[in-house]
Amino acid sequence: MDRRNFLKILGITSSTAMLSSCGVDKANEKIIPYVIPPDEEVYPGKPLYVSTTCTECPANCGLQVKVNEKLYHEQRSLYPTKLEGIPNHPINRGGLCARGQAGLFRLYHPERIKRPMVRDEQGNWLIITWSEVVTRIQDELQKTRRLGKINTYLSNHTNGTISQLKNQFCQEYGFERLPDFELFSHANIKKANQLVFNKQVIPQYRIAKTDFLLSLGADILETFVSPVEHTYHFSIAKKNQHFRWYHLEPHVSLTGVQADHRIVIYPESEIIFLSYLIQTLFRESHQKRNLPFKLLRSIPTYSLEETAQQTGIYQQDLQKLVGELSKAENPLIISGGISTAHAYGLEVAVLTALLQWILGITSEVVNFINARNYENIGTFLDINNLLHRLDQNEIGVFFLSKCDPAGQLPVDWQFLEKLKKASFSIGLADCLNATVRACNMILPLSHTLESWGDAQPFDGLHSIFQPAIEPQYDSKTEGDILLSLLNNNSEFSLYYKDYLFNNLKSRFGETNTSKLLQNGFIRTAVPESELSINLNQVYQFLKNFRIPQVKRTELLVFAPSIRGYDGRSTDLVLLNEIPDPLTTISYGAWLSVSEETATRMSLKDGDEVEVRIADERTKLPVKKQKLLPENVNLVQYGVVRLLSGSYDKRSGELFWFIKDIILSKTGNHVKLPVLSGSMDENGRGILPHVNEHGHEKEGKPWYPEHEHENYRWGMAIDLESCIGCNACSAACYVENNIPIVGRKEHLLGREMSWIRIQPYVQDNESIEFVPMMCQHCDNAPCEPVCPVYAAYHNPEGLNVQVYNRCVGTRYCANNCPYKARRFNWFDHRLPEPLDKMYNPDISIRDRGIMEKCTFCIQRIRAAKDKAKDDNRLVQEGEVIPACAQTCPTKAITFGNLEDKNSKAYKLAHSEQAYRALEELGTKPAVNYLGKKREHYEA
Amino acid sequence: MKIRIAPYFIIIYVLAFIIFVILISYFWQKNRKTPEQPINFSHQIHVSKVGLPCTHCHTTVEKSTAAGIPSVETCMTCHKAVKKESPEIQKLTKYWENKQPVPWQRVYRLPARKYVYFSHKRHIKANLECVNCHGNVEIMSIIKRVPKLEMGWCMSCHKAKNVSIDCATCHK
Repeated sequence: MDRRNFLKILGITSSTAMLSSCGVDKANEKIIPYVIPPDEEVYPGKPLYVSTTCTECPANCGLQVKVNEKLYHEQRSLYPTKLEGIPNHPINRGGLCARGQAGLFRLYHPERIKRPMVRDEQGNWLIITWSEVVTRIQDELQKTRRLGKINTYLSNHTNGTISQLKNQFCQEYGFERLPDFELFSHANIKKANQLVFNKQVIPQYRIAKTDFLLSLGADILETFVSPVEHTYHFSIAKKNQHFRWYHLEPHVSLTGVQADHRIVIYPESEIIFLSYLIQTLFRESHQKRNLPFKLLRSIPTYSLEETAQQTGIYQQDLQKLVGELSKAENPLIISGGISTAHAYGLEVAVLTALLQWILGITSEVVNFINARNYENIGTFLDINNLLHRLDQNEIGVFFLSKCDPAGQLPVDWQFLEKLKKASFSIGLADCLNATVRACNMILPLSHTLESWGDAQPFDGLHSIFQPAIEPQYDSKTEGDILLSLLNNNSEFSLYYKDYLFNNLKSRFGETNTSKLLQNGFIRTAVPESELSINLNQVYQFLKNFRIPQVKRTELLVFAPSIRGYDGRSTDLVLLNEIPDPLTTISYGAWLSVSEETATRMSLKDGDEVEVRIADERTKLPVKKQKLLPENVNLVQYGVVRLLSGSYDKRSGELFWFIKDIILSKTGNHVKLPVLSGSMDENGRGILPHVNEHGHEKEGKPWYPEHEHENYRWGMAIDLESCIGCNACSAACYVENNIPIVGRKEHLLGREMSWIRIQPYVQDNESIEFVPMMCQHCDNAPCEPVCPVYAAYHNPEGLNVQVYNRCVGTRYCANNCPYKARRFNWFDHRLPEPLDKMYNPDISIRDRGIMEKCTFCIQRIRAAKDKAKDDNRLVQEGEVIPACAQTCPTKAITFGNLEDKNSKAYKLAHSEQAYRALEELGTKPAVNYLGKKREHYEA
Repeated sequence: MKIRIAPYFIIIYVLAFIIFVILISYFWQKNRKTPEQPINFSHQIHVSKVGLPCTHCHTTVEKSTAAGIPSVETCMTCHKAVKKESPEIQKLTKYWENKQPVPWQRVYRLPARKYVYFSHKRHIKANLECVNCHGNVEIMSIIKRVPKLEMGWCMSCHKAKNVSIDCATCHK
């Protein structure tokens, strides 16, 4: 042997020894007790549930926070680990959308503001104490008083007790409280209701009660006002076989593809369509209420041909629509979103209100009594006014609470430059954003899950914020700050909690307050009032009716997305990991273009184009989007900053589209993380026509049948109800500690989601969604190929993956026809402090291990544990996996297929049920309930 | 230039390496069985002499997966008065005064605990005695791990008692 070989062997043995010792756990693990035990009810292994309210959007769904006792960094404490909807909450009924599920990512956001800071003369941040905050603000107030400037207070959607306190504060300190800032203020709907019904509110749309829904542009299932509630209502309405839904939109949205009839309408031409509808209903005497002739005459008359030509709707569609609308007993017309966010948006909203009136408006479907709490929300007129006053150096101390106008307003409005003209700006926020970064002082706010508070989602419903975790940083609630400022209390010894409770008790009494704490919400009676129309006001408005000149130009449409809303959720990493439902793009920005545009400009997915709007330019990769009409180009709010914006000077509604844009190809190519392999199911029968599947087609089993003793867990997924919103996927991520892998891995096709929502384009005219996860096959193809028996079938019918047996051969994933298995290529741990949310009931998988849906085995085990304590079997409804729990439409039913009385068994054996790829003989435990296609054709 | 190295050189190297590994693992194992604790707590005194039942301190053993470790406050309920002069109790008092938890070293840990979920409650409800797994704690002045807590050991009992041997019972 020579020296070289000797060194080689030496090297190899030593490094092998090193490597083999790497995987061993650290020997010295500590076991940390409490110094003082908290509650007797708090102990490891038992979760607590706290009822509170979701604040990810103005809808304010009821929230149940699961709190686990955990050891984190040698500190024993309570940490929220999962958010769920309150089961009987009047808004969300147990459901929660993907944004709500991602709320924990805001609570534990790495960019949470940790302590109060102020800018010195050089512009550097200085950390200060809270008592210095009070004195500093008092100083600044005195300074502005001398200068004679006006102090202002701007916040996001605020209601309940904190709104009262704000008013009190503003009054005593001579602040002007500006109307609340929300990008989607629905100003046109509010203004139209003011004009027509003298009620400047947004009503509750009760879709469940209608038999005919006509929606114009309103993305009711995604972001419009209260999406989870609408989605639940929609699933109830669908159970009525006479229910019909027509959706008109100039682009394509997730809501649109769910409608029975999605009709593409030219942008801005909704007004012609509505005029035609009103005139036709009167001509054919289908109206339930009459209008004065004078008023009717001010609405233009169009013939069928003219309407069809100017709106782009087929004549037969128009006739069918009128026919069905006139037959409907309780029709509901909702216009909103993109249909009211253009120059004729106010007219659209007024005509909608008028149409609803003549079709017999009832509080059953359009509830003005329990109106949405949008009264404090300002419009773009207010914003413009504010910008003007900032420009004139009129503003002194400027409080900006929980809102991010700098990040959300159009780029060319130059909010940041104007903000600098305020003499002292104070940003209150929980996470850093563009606005607070530009302020003179930053005050960290406690997250809603760390603070006390209340909200009033709509008139007659009150819900509470209760802390589920101690404040993690040196933060205060807005109430605490205002109280201390009001009383000049630099010790912060006054608590908003006491103020809140005094207020609640005086408003609702002792018993109702404790009920509010226990349930998370209470309902109070609202005086009923008869709805009446203000004919004169409507006439005055319609007198100056403007008929749009529908000119078809290249449009850039900004639409809110189910993941980012108005952009406030785009920096939550979970919502980037979960793909956009229609395009299945996860990370990054893109421009959706129509197939026609792509052909015309010879664009492939990922080709970069330059979008030119007057002087502003931006470069975006394109994605071809089926069903998107020609000349319409789509981007999402938040993902792409609004480049230039204009608004309605009458109502202050922001316009959602920009006309006359110019697209040009740059020649660059950007790789897009598109997670769906194909939008076409290629005739594999994953989405069969109702008559096309049958049990006789089922493939022959290869192996002897499994015997199940007491349980065979199974699932039924109703595709009729599934809207493809990805809430299940988000819930699954949080519940099961699924690694978040990022854009780079997604580009390599290494996504980890246990549930994927697969969109399939059907006949180029509709998009349907199939949630796909491990099917827990009885004859699972993954099991026999595992060389180490890591994938095996358990006696309860679960296809179990034993992580510590798995050696990572990936044979199972290769053999899985459903592509449901995910491989950990690396250790992807959530960075601190996001790792506080890890669910302690399930393991965090290491690299080199295969994982997949377990049917939430930790929940099954917990239910079995409970059942065993009582010496009985697990009952129906005791095990609800995270996906089924959060589904806003309750499309997923989980249960024991051995129990013939279980809902899951009944659905699995119903006429509609089929299994995906059942001809392979895999015998899946997941049953899909097919779409009733024939009622589309009816 | 080539230097000839006799093959027995390699044998010696490999043997030395193996001995080294064995020695390391021996001390390591020993350390794991009886790690040094921040306070010399004696189960023998508390159980045999004072006569406290296990559940006096391990309060959640009957109702939770974790048996529970007493809070510093629990220790102090007695030790505010009892044996105040002992140097070990003074250590405890110091933790209490600083409002800090005692950083006990874990003695019983499952080798692959990351993927194993053990429930104390289930085993107590199945009428198992603490002694069955933890040994005669009442005679241990320094707590020591008795079984190795390897899966084979779990399985032998599960098989003998004819209870579930499904992987998913413990692994999730």
